[in-house]
Amino acid sequence: MISCKSISKSYRKGANTVTPLENLNLEVPRGEFLALMGPSGSGKTTLLNLISGIDTPSSGTLVIDGQNIADFSRKQLTKWRSQKVGYIFQLYHLIPVLTAFENVELPLLITSLSRAERRAKVEEALDLVGLMDRSHHTPAELSGGQEQRVAIARALVADPPLLVADEPTGDLDRESANGILALLQSFARENGKTIVMVTHDARAAAAAHRTLHLEKGVLLSEDPNLTSL
Amino acid sequence: MLPLTYALRNLFRDKPRLAQTVGGSALVVLLVIAATALNGGMKQVLSASGSEKNIILLGAGSEESIQRSEVSPLLGGIAEAGVRGVSKTLGRPAASVEIHYMTYLTDKEGRKGQGLFRGVTPRALLVHPEVRLLEGAFPRSGEVMVGRLAWRKLGIPEASLKPGASVTIDRSPMIVSGVFAAPGTVMESEVWAALGDLHMLAQRQTVSCVVLRMDDAANFPDADLFAQQRLDLELTALRESDYYAALSSFFKPLRVMTWITAGLIAAGAVFGGFNTLYAAFASRIRELATLQAIGYGRGAIFLSLVQESLIACLAGTLVASAVALFLLDGRTIPFSIGAFTVSVTPQVALAGLVTGILLGILGAVPPAIRCLRPPLPKALRS
Ligand SMILES: Nc1ncnc2c1ncn2[C@@H]1O[C@H](COP(=O)(O)OP(=O)(O)O)[C@@H](O)[C@H]1O
Ligand SMILES: [Mg+2]
Repeated sequence: MISCKSISKSYRKGANTVTPLENLNLEVPRGEFLALMGPSGSGKTTLLNLISGIDTPSSGTLVIDGQNIADFSRKQLTKWRSQKVGYIFQLYHLIPVLTAFENVELPLLITSLSRAERRAKVEEALDLVGLMDRSHHTPAELSGGQEQRVAIARALVADPPLLVADEPTGDLDRESANGILALLQSFARENGKTIVMVTHDARAAAAAHRTLHLEKGVLLSEDPNLTSL
Repeated sequence: MLPLTYALRNLFRDKPRLAQTVGGSALVVLLVIAATALNGGMKQVLSASGSEKNIILLGAGSEESIQRSEVSPLLGGIAEAGVRGVSKTLGRPAASVEIHYMTYLTDKEGRKGQGLFRGVTPRALLVHPEVRLLEGAFPRSGEVMVGRLAWRKLGIPEASLKPGASVTIDRSPMIVSGVFAAPGTVMESEVWAALGDLHMLAQRQTVSCVVLRMDDAANFPDADLFAQQRLDLELTALRESDYYAALSSFFKPLRVMTWITAGLIAAGAVFGGFNTLYAAFASRIRELATLQAIGYGRGAIFLSLVQESLIACLAGTLVASAVALFLLDGRTIPFSIGAFTVSVTPQVALAGLVTGILLGILGAVPPAIRCLRPPLPKALRS
């Protein structure tokens, strides 16, 4: 599903160049739930942004679902993202002026689905995250855990094969976090979604099939103790 | 495409900011409506005041001001006989001997205002057929007939100029004999009196001009030839329409000033708008990036931001139009030689609408571009 071959990413910061990722290789099979761990500043978000087509690598190939997105144009990437990736953020990033229902509907407004079809899909997604009864609430009227569930429903509603999550439980209490992790697990298991999740938290990583450690832009050997297939 | 509700609800996120945008655009639109309506009204009254068929014979060198012109009181008879093509009604040639005189009128209560007085004979009605008596009668000696808008030009209450009212002109007491209309012309804001009375008031033996009404506008060369051949009379023949067109161009700098002022204020408002909208959009940079992460193109988001600003500015336009209709439409505005009516015509309303649309678009484009420029990964972090 994901095949990164010697990808590097550098940013120009004034006169000098920062290279958060160098010569990185990564293979993620379809349906795998992968956890990425590593200290702050190790390049986890950068990697996630590359995998999800939010950013482009400076060099290397990045084949996702059969397409090398490394040399997609900005426009191509935008369209690709709308079909292939669901992004889950640490701080949910819900649109505050829209209700839960409307937030979840956003990705579908870019598709050619009819109003009734959209409605059915949004309800299905909200049902899946257990928030049907909150569909008319705005983000301000929801708890953090509920907001993240809405964000997950939004990431899922267009049925993309790939979900990426950047510290999705980082701002949640243990109980809410467990609920979110259980949801992600079930998506991988029952819906065949490929999931890449960045986390600080070893207990969150334990929910994944496999955990990789990123140190200063280099992927270190997997810790077999944390693998729980 | 982002739903319109998104743009709409974003507007209400910050109500003081919304009020600022709506209020600011309303002010600019109102200003443009006012400038357009004022300029249009003044131009309209001056162009409607002069008839193509009327020829003014006045003293050579006084082409710019009839009031300063002096010609012999006998010119009426001479011109009737000497110019071909003068229109006749029941055998009477349409030649009006007139004195134009700027002076003060005082009403019973002592309120005083300056206006244009025209000394005329009943022949004036043959030359100025648009003049219609609304009430009362044509003035005899000791009487005046007032234009429908004379009160506005004089700056005194309309009731002071009802037929039968006593007024004082300079130091002579007079009675208002009637009220007349001359739709859309400056004559409506004049006061007409018997020619003989004006000789006394203005203390002059000469008259200002003779106005001839021709059968056909094409007969002007006949009058012009007459004026040129009678060197002894020192005359100039002017089409009445040309006289008012010249007056209109005399006011052009004033109109240009109005436009420059309106333009400067509008430009200031657009720059103020940049800041307000920039603040509004910049507070949502992460949200705009999230929409892009979901798969919305920058074009779609840009459109939504412009929509947002456009809605606010159109609301402002609506407010301005309502204010203009209530406060401006139908109002008469005095100016040096008369008064004109301001009307919010379809063209004026269109100018306001175009202004509102331009404000909405121009004000939003630079801030929207600026807020959509940062690269996605950076914007998502903010
Ligand atoms: N847009 C950018 N411009 C410059 N430097 C960046 C940018 N994005 C990330 N970096 C740098 O790359 C490194 C890795 O960042 P990041 O991927 O966010 O780390 P993590 O998510 O693991 O904390 C950091 O040193 C960060 O400063
Ligand atoms: Mg990070």
